[in-house]
Order: sequence, then C-alpha cells, then structure tokens
Amino acid sequence: MGVIVSAENVTKDYDLGRAKVRALRGVSLDLRRGQFLSIAGPSGSGKTTLLNLIGCVDTPTSGAVRIDGRDTRALSERELTTLRLHKIGFIFQSFNLVSVLSLYQNVEFPLLLQGGLTRAERRKRVEMLLGAVGLGQHARHRPSELSGGQRQRVAIARALVTRPPLVLADEPTANLDSHTGAAIIDLMKDMNRRDGTTFLFSTHDPTVMSHASAVIHVADGRLVEPEPVSSVSAMTGG
Amino acid sequence: MTGPDIQSGLMRAGILARIASRNLLAGRAKSLIVGGIILFGTALVVVGSSLVDGVDAGMRRSIQGSLGGHIQVYDARSKDDLALYGGAMGEPDLQPIEDFSRLARTLRSVPDVKAIVPMAIDVATIAMGSPFDLALERLRSDVRRCDGAPEAGRCSRSSGSGEEYRAHRAQVRRMVSLLADELSQARRIAAEGAADSAGRERSPADIERARSEAFWAAFDRDPLGSLEFLENRIAPLSVGGGSLPLRYVATDLGAFAKAFDGLQILEGSPVPRGARGILLGKRYAEETAKNRVRVGDTITLEAPARSGYASSVNVKVYGFVQFKGLERTDLAGLMNLMDLATWRRLYGYPTPEQAAEIEGMKAAAGARAVAREGAEAELFGEGAGELVERGRAAPLGGYLPDGGRGGRSQGALDEVYSQKGIDAGVVKNAAVILADARRIPETIRAIEEACRRDGLPIKAVSWREASGTVGQFVTLARVVLYGAMFILFAVALVVINNATVMATLNRVKEIGTMRAMGAQRRFVLLMVLLETMAVGLVFGVAGAALGGGIVWLVGAAGGIPATNGDLYFFYSGPSLVPRLGAASLGGALVIVLGVSALSALYPALLATRVAPVVAMQSDD
Repeated sequence: MGVIVSAENVTKDYDLGRAKVRALRGVSLDLRRGQFLSIAGPSGSGKTTLLNLIGCVDTPTSGAVRIDGRDTRALSERELTTLRLHKIGFIFQSFNLVSVLSLYQNVEFPLLLQGGLTRAERRKRVEMLLGAVGLGQHARHRPSELSGGQRQRVAIARALVTRPPLVLADEPTANLDSHTGAAIIDLMKDMNRRDGTTFLFSTHDPTVMSHASAVIHVADGRLVEPEPVSSVSAMTGG
Repeated sequence: MTGPDIQSGLMRAGILARIASRNLLAGRAKSLIVGGIILFGTALVVVGSSLVDGVDAGMRRSIQGSLGGHIQVYDARSKDDLALYGGAMGEPDLQPIEDFSRLARTLRSVPDVKAIVPMAIDVATIAMGSPFDLALERLRSDVRRCDGAPEAGRCSRSSGSGEEYRAHRAQVRRMVSLLADELSQARRIAAEGAADSAGRERSPADIERARSEAFWAAFDRDPLGSLEFLENRIAPLSVGGGSLPLRYVATDLGAFAKAFDGLQILEGSPVPRGARGILLGKRYAEETAKNRVRVGDTITLEAPARSGYASSVNVKVYGFVQFKGLERTDLAGLMNLMDLATWRRLYGYPTPEQAAEIEGMKAAAGARAVAREGAEAELFGEGAGELVERGRAAPLGGYLPDGGRGGRSQGALDEVYSQKGIDAGVVKNAAVILADARRIPETIRAIEEACRRDGLPIKAVSWREASGTVGQFVTLARVVLYGAMFILFAVALVVINNATVMATLNRVKEIGTMRAMGAQRRFVLLMVLLETMAVGLVFGVAGAALGGGIVWLVGAAGGIPATNGDLYFFYSGPSLVPRLGAASLGGALVIVLGVSALSALYPALLATRVAPVVAMQSDD
C-alpha cells in the first residue's frame, strides 16, 4: 500500500501573546492507504494540532507534511483548499453541519464545490451514502431535527461523498453517548473496509481507541511510541 | 469556458443562492431590519424621483411651450448669460444680433430645426394717466359709445351703456369735489409760490364751475364740451398717475403664435400681420395694471434707449393673452407680447429701410466723418468766428421721426411692416423649435458649428440653461433629493454593514467548515454578498412596488395641487402628477443593490479571512 500522508520532523508553535507554546516537537510518521488509525493522547498533547496539519487546515512551523505525495509547504492557499476538496474528508467533533440546509443538501455540498457530476450522478451518490448511514428516509430533514448520532452519521456521509482517499475525524464520538459512539466508529470502519478509505481519528476514549487497527500515541507534542512510523506500519501490517 | 466549467459555475451559483435564501429565512429579524430600511429607501427614491420627474416634465412643458422652445441662441459676446425669466441682477445684458435674417438663414441649414422665433426680452414702463384722467377717459368712451348724446335716448337700446355712463359721470363729479377740497386745503397750509400761482390762478373759478349744479345739469346736453373743459382746466390740477413696470417679449408675433400653440387670446384679437401692437398677459392686466388698461387702448411705453436718454413709444393693446395650463402662474403670466418693430423703435434700432434712408440723406447732404481736432476748421473753414450769413429757422418736423415731437414717438401706430422688415433687423435672442426634441444636445453642437462656419458669434443653449435660475429648479430639487437619499442610504449602509458583520461573526464556524471542506475564499465572499444583495433585491422590489403604488395613488387622486402661481408654473398646470418611469424604478433598484453590495463588502471580506482551522475548534 502507498503512503497517503507523510510527516517529517514536524513542529508547530503557537504565539500566545508573549509566550510561545510548542504544540508539536518534531513529529514524523507515514500513513498508508486503507488504514484505520486513531491518534490518542491526553488533552493538550497535540493530537488535534497534528490532525490540523495533516488536514491542511494549518501549516507546520517547520518540517514537512506530504499529502498524496504533495508537499503542503509548496502549495498556495488556493491549492491547499483544492487539495482538501479532493483528497480529504472531515468529520468534526461538533458535526458542523450547515444548519440551513437539509441532510441531502449538506451531503451534496462538497460535490457542488467540486463540480463535474451531473445532477443525477450527485443524487445517486448522495442517496447511496445516506442509505449507507441509515438516514435515507430523512434526506429532507434539517440537522436540528436529528439526534447527535444521526448528525454525525450525516457528517460521515458528507466526508465520504467526494470519495477522498483520506478522512480525518477529530474526536468524532466526543459529543455522543458510548453506544452511539461505538456505532459511529463501526460505521466508519465499515466504510474503511468497503472503499479502502484511510481513516485517521483522534480520541482519548480507550473504548473507541480499541476499534482502531492501530493507535498513534501523542504526548507533549511527540509520538510516544518507541518507533512511531515503523510501529504504525507494523501494527497495521503495512 | 468549457461546458463542465459552466455547469460547475451554475451549480456553485445554485448552492450559493440556496444557502443565501435559507439564511435569509433563518435570520428573520436581521433580514426584516435590513429589509425594512431598504424598502423604505427604495420607496422614497421611487416617489421622490417620480415627483422630481413630474416637476421636470411640467417645467419642460411650461418653458418649452411658452417662451423657451427647445434651444435658445444669443450673441456669444454678450456680457451676461441669457436668462429668459430674468437674472439675479435684473435683465441680462445681451449683445444685440444685428441681422436676424442672416442668423435665421444659418439656423435653417441645421438639420432638425423646425422653426425659429426672434425675440427681445426687456422691461419698459407704461406711463399711466392720473386717476382723474382715467375717469375722464372712461366717461368719454361712454359718450362716444352713446353717439355723443347719452341721455337723449341713444343709449337706451344698448343695455347697460346708459347706466355705465351715469356711474362714470357720478364718479367724475365726486372726484372734482374731492379735488376742490384738496386744493383748498393745500392753499390754506402753504404759501403759494409765484410759479404755482401763475399756473393755478384760474383754478378757484374753474373748480367752482366744475362743482356747480349748473355745470352738471348742463353736462348731458353737451357732454363732449363739458369733458373738454374738465380735461383742459381741471385734469391738470390733479396729480398722481405714475407708471407701471412691464416685462415683455418683443417678437415676430405670427411666428410666435405658430411656434407656441399654448398661446390663447382671451380678449381682443391677434395683432394684425406686420402691424405694431401689444398683447398683454391677462394676469398682468388684472393684477398689475388693475384693469386700468383695456383692449383697444393705446399705451405709452417708456424705456431708456440705446443713447441712454429716455424714449417712449405708443402702442395699441390688441388683446389679453394667457398660456394654456399656465393661467395662474406669475412666471409665464408676465408674458406680454409685443411686435419687434415697436421694441426697435423704443430702443432706437433703425429698420433696414430707415438705415438706408439715413444713409441716403447723408449722401445727399455730403456728410462725412471728421476728426475731433479738425472739426472746427472742417465745419466753419479757416475764417471761423466771422458771421457770414444769418440763417433762417425752419421746422425740422419733416426730418425727425413723428414730426419731431421730442422723445415720444406718437405716430406711425397704423404703419405696417413687411416680413422682410421684421426679419432683417435687430433681435436679442431667438427660440429654436426642433422637429425631434430628443436631439437637443446634438443640435446645439450643430448650430454652433454652423454659426462658426458662417462667421456668426452665436451661443446656443438648451431651454433649461436659458431659463436661468428657474431652469435650475429641477436640478436643485434633484440635488436635494439625492442628498436626502445619500444620507438615508449612508445610514442604511452602516446599519446593514453592522447587521451583516454580526451575522458573519455568528457563522464563523459554518464558514470555517465550508473552507475546510474545500470552499474557496471567493465562494465565501460571494455567499455573504449574495445574501445581502438578495435582501436588497427582495425588499428593493417590494419598496419599488410600494413607491409605485404611492405614485399611482397620488396620480389617481388628481395629483398634488399647486397652491401658488410659482408651483402652477413648475407643475405646468393646477396639479403635479408624479411620473413613474422605468428610469425611476430601475435607478432605485440599482441604487439599492449597489448599497447592499457596498454594505456587505466589509463583512464579506471578513468572512474570507475565517481560517478553515476554526472548523476544528470545539464549541467549548
């Protein structure tokens, strides 16, 4: 399997007034296509920062992040946006659905940004995904009419609708009860198995973590596994 | 642009419109506040501009149809600009155009020129007799009407004539009595000077006679003789009279009537072709002259001639006129129309025939120009100072106009001028009527070009410019309207901007999510702009409809009534009916959309600066 994400000695500093906080202190890792990985660590360990850098919504202070072989340092803001649109799906902790759009429209939204598909093709894909997450009957509903678990399932469908090679999920179960959280992780895992999409999600919940085929432990801005890259590769058999 | 690109663009526009419409409904309070301001502003723009357009159209009708025509031309070397309704400092000082026929020839060569009306607008005074003179004149008219014997039964068949005669006779008698009292009192309180007493030495006896029962008992037997006594002996003792200011347009009355078909003769008749005469404005005759001038009267006009000396000329009043739709206006009501020959005579401009005659007389007499320094020698020869021959005084009446009766041009009331004589003379300006009134700017350029080509220093201006401050009224009204609009929309801009900034800040997470998912900054910019412009469009259309409804209602109710003469002129009639035009509606919508876009620009730029990483932040 090829490498979809590669991080090389990545650091990230935040300026908080006069103080400078180093969130990542030289992280290196490779993620291979088709993996179902979890980033684990306590609050403030740097897992969300790492996810942001891999998701190209933030840039490293030093080091290099490559997505599908493209060095994000060399890309303009516009190119990074296009890269996100075509290569990365996002699942957010707070679901982040557009409240004024129906479920169907929320899922369809990234396809409209991408362009290139006909209305019928979009419809087919959206309906297939909504069916896959068990919300085919609720397509016309608004997010406010759904439970948290249902909303997160919509978010999963939205993340997958453009068929990205990589889906990033930041604490996807944090706002859900344990039963619903487990169901969401199972759903993501099904998608991973079915389409071969790489999933990387952050969590500090050991139950959720146990579902991952591999776990990247982060503490104090560093990967705490003795040999993070090889261990991740080894754990996943890559 | 390829097919898929267009399709993608349309799809993005579709999702933008969808988000915009949903957000409008979601943020009802904000939409209603912003929309309310836009609705009110748009309605105001539509109503305001419809009113101004109505005034503009009214003034256009008033000015173009009564005096201005479409274009006015005057000598470019004039000290002042042409002001048809007078300038701030009185009448503009215009350089006379010496030969109107030459100008007319040039103007007729310009395409679209349909008619040319020569003009000279000026002010004179009407010398009025004393009230006693007027009363006597009225009584004399009654006597004439009754064939010299009012009480001999000759007036009995014409109803009212006898009664009028008796009333006027009684009025004269009353005035004689009052005059006697006045003179008696004057004699008591002041020592009479020699000159005065010389003039009035007979007056006590004359007054006593005029007051006597015997005089009035005998009056009806010889009314003309009695009137002669009163006119010669009593009238000179009365004082008063004075003069009336008269603003008039001297013109080719035939051409004027043809070009300005709103001219109506209410009483009397048109001035016969080529004759000298005046048509007084009905309003002038009633309100300024207080009915002291009647149709058929001959009035004496006085004005300073070119030489600076006072000049006067008699002219017959042929009728009273008004302009249709402008009956009550003072501005158009000043329209006293006079023939050009009278004006030229009053100001001492000779007709071409007169000029030729003078030249002929000069040639016959061997007249030639002499230098000032050698004038004495040239006139009297080297032996100047010695009496060579005693001359014999001879009357100059044969040489001077009107027999040399001083400055007053009494005669020639019945003289008739040829059209050539009217055209080939001095004018001050001319109205140009176009076949296509929409081509005023192009024709002005063409006229000036043609005049330049023919060596005529002529300036052409539009009717609005020629109207001076009056013509600028609409411009002023527009400036006021647009000023009010500007203030209103500046406030609206601030309010909409604030409301949109607040709405944008509330949607930072949503915008960040869109950005994270791959929405470009341009998409976010358009989204915010479109939302506000959609509010602008929806409420703008509603405001335009509301404004249109108000305009329609005002029109259906008969318009806004003119409460004074000036408004009558500006409205070109008794009421102002607002004109709802496509320009008003379109202009209002363009303004509203512009303001909406402008007010949303800052929040939209703010939204583009929302980083995608915001989407990853938790709500805690």
